[in-house]
Amino acid sequence: MRPGVAAAAWLALLAALCAVPFLSGRFAPYLAMRVMMMGIFALGYNLLLGQTGLLSFGHGAFYAAGAYGLGLFALRVSPHPILGLAAGVAAAAVLALVVGALCVRSSEVYFSMLTLAFGMMFFALVWNAREVTGGDDGLIGVVRAPVELGLARIPIERESQFYFLVLLLFALSIWVAHRIRLSPFGLVLAGLRENATRTAFAGVPVRRYRLAAFVVSAAFAGLAGALEVLLESGARPFMAHWTHSAEPILVSLFGGLETLTGPLVGSLFFIAMREVIQRYTEHWMLAFGLLLLVVIMGFRGGVVGALGALLGGRRPAGEGR
Amino acid sequence: MQSIVHVCLAGLSSGMFIWLVASGLTLIFGVLGVLNFAHGSFYMLGAYVSFALVKALSPHFYLAMFLGPLAVCAAGFVVERWFLRRVYALELPYQLLLTFAFVLVFDNLVKIAWGAGSLSPPSGLGPLEGSVDILGRNFPVYSLFVIAVGPLVALALWAALERTWIGRIVRAASSDREMASALGVRVPALFTGVFVFGTWLGALGGALAVPYVGLLTPGMGETIIIEAFIVAVIGGLGSLKGAFLGALVLGVLSAFGTRFFPAFDMFLTFILMAAVLLWRPRGLFGAA
Amino acid sequence: MRPKGLHRREFLKLASAGSVLGAAAALSPRGVFAAPAGVKGPIKIGYQAILSGTLAGYGEFHKMGVLLAVDEVNAAGGIAGQKVEVDIRDSTLKPEECIKNARYFVDSWGADFLGGVDSSGQALALAPIMQQLDKVIVITHAATEKLTEEWVFKKGVRQIFRICNATYHDGNAAAFVAKDFPITSWATVSPKYEYGFTCWKMFQETLSKLKPGVTFKTESFAPFGTTDFRSHINTILDARPEGLYSTEWAGELITFVKQAKEAGLFDKIKYVMFPVGAAMDVLEGCGMDMPDGIWISGRYFFRYPDTRQNNEFVARFHKRWSHYPAYVSETGYSSIWALKAAVEKAGSKDTKPVIQALEGMEIDTPGGHRVFRKEDHQAIYDVPWGKTKADPKYPFKVMGETKLIPASVAWARPPFEGPGTKPPF
Repeated sequence: MRPGVAAAAWLALLAALCAVPFLSGRFAPYLAMRVMMMGIFALGYNLLLGQTGLLSFGHGAFYAAGAYGLGLFALRVSPHPILGLAAGVAAAAVLALVVGALCVRSSEVYFSMLTLAFGMMFFALVWNAREVTGGDDGLIGVVRAPVELGLARIPIERESQFYFLVLLLFALSIWVAHRIRLSPFGLVLAGLRENATRTAFAGVPVRRYRLAAFVVSAAFAGLAGALEVLLESGARPFMAHWTHSAEPILVSLFGGLETLTGPLVGSLFFIAMREVIQRYTEHWMLAFGLLLLVVIMGFRGGVVGALGALLGGRRPAGEGR
Repeated sequence: MQSIVHVCLAGLSSGMFIWLVASGLTLIFGVLGVLNFAHGSFYMLGAYVSFALVKALSPHFYLAMFLGPLAVCAAGFVVERWFLRRVYALELPYQLLLTFAFVLVFDNLVKIAWGAGSLSPPSGLGPLEGSVDILGRNFPVYSLFVIAVGPLVALALWAALERTWIGRIVRAASSDREMASALGVRVPALFTGVFVFGTWLGALGGALAVPYVGLLTPGMGETIIIEAFIVAVIGGLGSLKGAFLGALVLGVLSAFGTRFFPAFDMFLTFILMAAVLLWRPRGLFGAA
Repeated sequence: MRPKGLHRREFLKLASAGSVLGAAAALSPRGVFAAPAGVKGPIKIGYQAILSGTLAGYGEFHKMGVLLAVDEVNAAGGIAGQKVEVDIRDSTLKPEECIKNARYFVDSWGADFLGGVDSSGQALALAPIMQQLDKVIVITHAATEKLTEEWVFKKGVRQIFRICNATYHDGNAAAFVAKDFPITSWATVSPKYEYGFTCWKMFQETLSKLKPGVTFKTESFAPFGTTDFRSHINTILDARPEGLYSTEWAGELITFVKQAKEAGLFDKIKYVMFPVGAAMDVLEGCGMDMPDGIWISGRYFFRYPDTRQNNEFVARFHKRWSHYPAYVSETGYSSIWALKAAVEKAGSKDTKPVIQALEGMEIDTPGGHRVFRKEDHQAIYDVPWGKTKADPKYPFKVMGETKLIPASVAWARPPFEGPGTKPPF
């Protein structure tokens, strides 16, 4: 696509998302918020999987770190949402720095299993530290205080108001992810994915770059987790569980790893499909599983890759990379 | 002393189930290079099908235990022949996603076939009912049987791979697919065979678990597949020796953890895995 | 899903037998019989229960109770003359799924009322959202006392009602039963989450007050999803307590009973209490492996109370589903009738009047006479404790000798704290 067309498409998407709360009841904006949060989670995740070629099984931990970071900050320090979000993102990034430093020297499935181990240790920690985290009940009762900006005071208590904060951060996340992909840093990451040895010979400190990608993607996860706490007024330990870590993988693969839009489209499909399927059958697992099979066997580059191939005659991505 | 012996025995017996699942997983990874997330589903199917057969063929307990896993092999055949075979060229995440899709499908099919509720086999299913007194405390005979089956399977696997003609072909194909193919080995058929055999091992674990756990639920494969993954990785992916050792260590360690360090029981498995991988990045017996 | 399980013909047979109408009359709240005008239909009730994963059996039993009630209520003229519609969704075990379902029901499907919810974590996660959704929800399974104490009583989320009994029954009432046993030392194997911790704490505190000098020797908490209890059993056997108290439930309790039996635990410990052991899945699952003489209870047990209303309910349920009603079946069933009673009493299906109608409302249900306590919206009703024994009529153990600790005694804990209230101790 030409840059002009792409920009127009993004603007159209933004306009459509702005319109959602005005056009329908409460449920569609709610689902849209969940899609955007999943989108942020997956977008960041794909900087690691799609861009750097590292498969993490532990990103639920960073999502949870963001959630509990904001939750504890809101309940114990200040309910200011922006400061809370910053605290959440910082908590996720710091945790990722520690975990990542231990994991990035491994690769392939061993990297995945190490991240799984640390992710599940964090889950066990959250579960067991009842005094701080509330155990399996989770942190409950986080309220959406107004955003104090010196002179201005913007309320976000109602969902229709909060929606625009989510939208703003969603748009920002896309922009940041886009910049990262095109930056020299992003290109080095792509080099690591294609051939780590060759990139290392070119003088690139491989581990440091991997660690940086790990921390950045965890920060996105932390933002998504913190936002969910503001939406649902609580944080829960299962956010850190491996089953939750699997969701951005599912979403990214579903949409396609190659593009910026892949994880976003995947998020939309993942949440919308599940919602639609559930209205017609209680056997949503069967339907969802079969759908996944079709996507993998049918268009292996994910939905976006397949659409791109259809529209632009490109080779479906994913194979033979 | 009494307690230590009993905790040890409990750990050994639970480790054997992890081993049976992990052995199939490891074999499939070692030869086909595929991480099969649906392997836990074969464990579940093994349990359900065998339980159904135990009831149908009563009192021929051993026959049911033998036929049940064989029936599950059909599922393994379908998965490999019509699905997995087409994604060998793809990367690990796609394989995991594909096999994860099968987890959803199998869990739901079991729910449709046997109902959503748990099934609970009555005790006294087989001839190995009852308990023996070990140092003044009862220990089930069946668990002793399980502890014996694990090493037997390990020994048989080793003998089959090292000492037979087909084992040599399997090893050749796993170390160099193209070379084996050039030498006239029908690699695709061999892969199907290995996958089906791996399926059988997982399903055997499930069948044996019926009297041991005493409960069948849809989704029962999900916990054990994670444990089996951990064991396979601790041992070094593709190494059967490593998986066997890993399963023993994991089983015994978690039993001791639960008994003597209960505050850490949710951490232990993962601490063990992290420690091993930080010490040896490719597991205990992994190829460098 | 649309209610696929409705078998029209089967159901008409029942109606002609007149039992449905009898049930309807018995279930109507006192003094209110006529359907008030002004309620617009249909009345839509959104239920959610766990229908996937290892606990999916609970959701199935729940569904059976709800579907039976809906058919009967509709046959008896609906709620305030309007047809009742239900939708039942899989809540899974994830709180966010539960919240999404509730939002879907209210904001998209147009539910007038909500019901269900199995896990305490889910109920607590839902609590802050309920004010915003502003519909009445009747909780049928989740047992955490925090829901009614913290959220209803202290924080004033008055949309929440609970029709099943709570941790008070599992913890406090158990202690009232245990105080008469001729033993002084106890231990537990319980779930490693808030429910397990809370019940064990309540049990210890209450029993210590009722019977000074009693000791608690050890505790072994099993993480969610435990399938091998052998190490936990060793912990207990090593501590040599005289009594064992366990709030393990569902499949994990079945597994625990079987493995404990193999290890000879029941030969060595004579007093064993399973507060949720009277669940049908547990009794059916354990079958004859459940030893005799174990003290069990639950949120409801189909043989109690021995009233015409309950016996007919059990008979209709068994005829329709070939199962005896589990406790979630009864609470799900009764929740529909309670909503009917409340709407007809209020003359409206709007949230505020229905809350007012439900507060303090008394209703006769299969599970007994229920009163929705005004302060915390907890339904007060009596469920007996009983000792397991074999009965040739059933392929599983039932309660033999029973003991009833009135709910008014055992549940009078908070929220009745502070001056002017009357705590039991």
